[in-house]
Amino acid sequence: MELFVIFLSAVFVNNYVLSKFLGICPFVGVSKKLGPSLSMGMATTFVMTMAAAVSWLIYYNILLPNNLTFLKIVSFILVIASLVQFVEMFIKKISKPLYNALGIYLPLITTNCAIMGVALFLVDKQYNFVESIIFGFSAGVGFTLAIVIMAGIREKLELADVPEYFKGAPITMIVAGCLALAFMGFAGMI
Amino acid sequence: MKSAKLIIVLTVTTLISGLGLSLLNSWAQPQIEAYRQKVLEQAIYEVLPGIEKYKTKTIQDTDFYEGLDSSGEKVNVAFKAIGNGFQSEIRVLVGMDTSLTKILGVNLLQQAETPGLGTKISDDPTRDNPNWFMEQFEGIKLANRDIDYVKNTKPDPTSGEIQAITGATISSESVVDIINKAIEKNRKLYKNGK
Amino acid sequence: MSKNKVSLIKEFTKGLWDENPVLRMLLGLCPTLAVTNSAINGLSMGLAVLFTLTSSSLIISIFRKIIPKEVRIPTFIVVIATFVTITDLTLAAKFPEISKALGPFIPLIVVNCMILGRQEAFASKNPVGRSIIDALGMSLGFTLTLTVLGAIRELLGAGTIFTLQIMPESFAPWMIMILPPGAFLTLGLMIGAANWINAKVKA
Repeated sequence: MELFVIFLSAVFVNNYVLSKFLGICPFVGVSKKLGPSLSMGMATTFVMTMAAAVSWLIYYNILLPNNLTFLKIVSFILVIASLVQFVEMFIKKISKPLYNALGIYLPLITTNCAIMGVALFLVDKQYNFVESIIFGFSAGVGFTLAIVIMAGIREKLELADVPEYFKGAPITMIVAGCLALAFMGFAGMI
Repeated sequence: MKSAKLIIVLTVTTLISGLGLSLLNSWAQPQIEAYRQKVLEQAIYEVLPGIEKYKTKTIQDTDFYEGLDSSGEKVNVAFKAIGNGFQSEIRVLVGMDTSLTKILGVNLLQQAETPGLGTKISDDPTRDNPNWFMEQFEGIKLANRDIDYVKNTKPDPTSGEIQAITGATISSESVVDIINKAIEKNRKLYKNGK
Repeated sequence: MSKNKVSLIKEFTKGLWDENPVLRMLLGLCPTLAVTNSAINGLSMGLAVLFTLTSSSLIISIFRKIIPKEVRIPTFIVVIATFVTITDLTLAAKFPEISKALGPFIPLIVVNCMILGRQEAFASKNPVGRSIIDALGMSLGFTLTLTVLGAIRELLGAGTIFTLQIMPESFAPWMIMILPPGAFLTLGLMIGAANWINAKVKA
């Protein structure tokens, strides 16, 4: 039950993109077409889940026992950067098609603040190991949901008559504002 | 040879960074601690009315701050209530009478809830009194019941009710929960540890 | 000599408008949106980024020749993360109130793509002086944008700027402006306005 609440909360109520403003750069940059958005979402979910697990292990097994918690920013970012590198090599080895689909997004993920956000928040919230993994996964699903919805809207938006100076990023922001407004409706859910 | 250089550069960078940061940390940590102490002290004088000074008494790892009046007589007691809110850890200082049955005052020590919603528990810009939520707890008598919260209706303070914040039910509920749990735990602890 | 001076000035001012990180390059949007529910928060975040970016650029441009190309990204990241931790600890020790308000967003400066972007695009290729000028210009542009965005949201959402009452008493604050949707809407309008001004100036 507790785990289900974490899932719902991270996907809808505290959606990382729309209510915590994390992962905005890929959200604006990649959300032009549905297909790539979905791939980006899946790649992010994958790295996020892994990052949550590894960060948890490092924080509770190395940093906390040795009173080194002030090194958490440096260690987490190194974890994420090496994880992305590792995942890239791994995918390249096992599946060429998957690599072709996700490959170009992987380096972008290093600077996706949503992943760093996941690592920092799970420490802040004192989640246990299982909760952390579920939280990382759910935050990724939430990110995927937001970016896919956005891509769907933007595909339609291409047919719309948007004022010249508002094409591209400005209208994306304004649409995101409306989405954020809609997602606020989930606030009372749990 | 090439890869050796790569490893050396990375190791040296990380070492310098780690060393520098631990030096800075040993300078910063005491100050962060001192600030926390100052905030705590102010909060103690706020939640315990009419005290001259206080002394700390530790029972099984729990700190009780006993308020003393001008003649050195123990008149009331405060303790921390800590738990998880909607998206951050919430720390509240609760001041009570010595039998732990009546709340004299509460003070929010720490929170980082959703800006504009959950943060209303200590700072509500839509009200004339931004601290109205926390002040509701003042004077509630709790001989053998818990604090309860209500939504959309008028709360009855005499039966331990307070009003939850619209749009921040979870934060409100968490504060109530955290305080209830701490009172229940500390009531036994304080009685036996006297 | 004077030509060099002119280009230095240009290096500085490009960050303010032509290559404004937020309005023109769309970098560092997460902190931009997240902390700007008041002018003071926007300003504090901007200054924290100013310190981190300038210090990182300084270090990276000094050591740019001995950092091997293959590990440059991890090295940049470690340097940036170190300065972010310095900012975080110093704020917590000396300015606890600010540290409280910006909360978890200080550590997230480390993944602010604008900072890594400047290292990759500028500091790792240019001499120290020029890199610092570039970093200062960029972060001032960033700070100004955040402060203006924070001021607009605070004015409409609470009727104040830097907590000074501006709007008349009768003004009912638009709560939505200090909530997440207000951040997206205001920034969208600001980027649109910047596009419009740019087109008018060029024409």
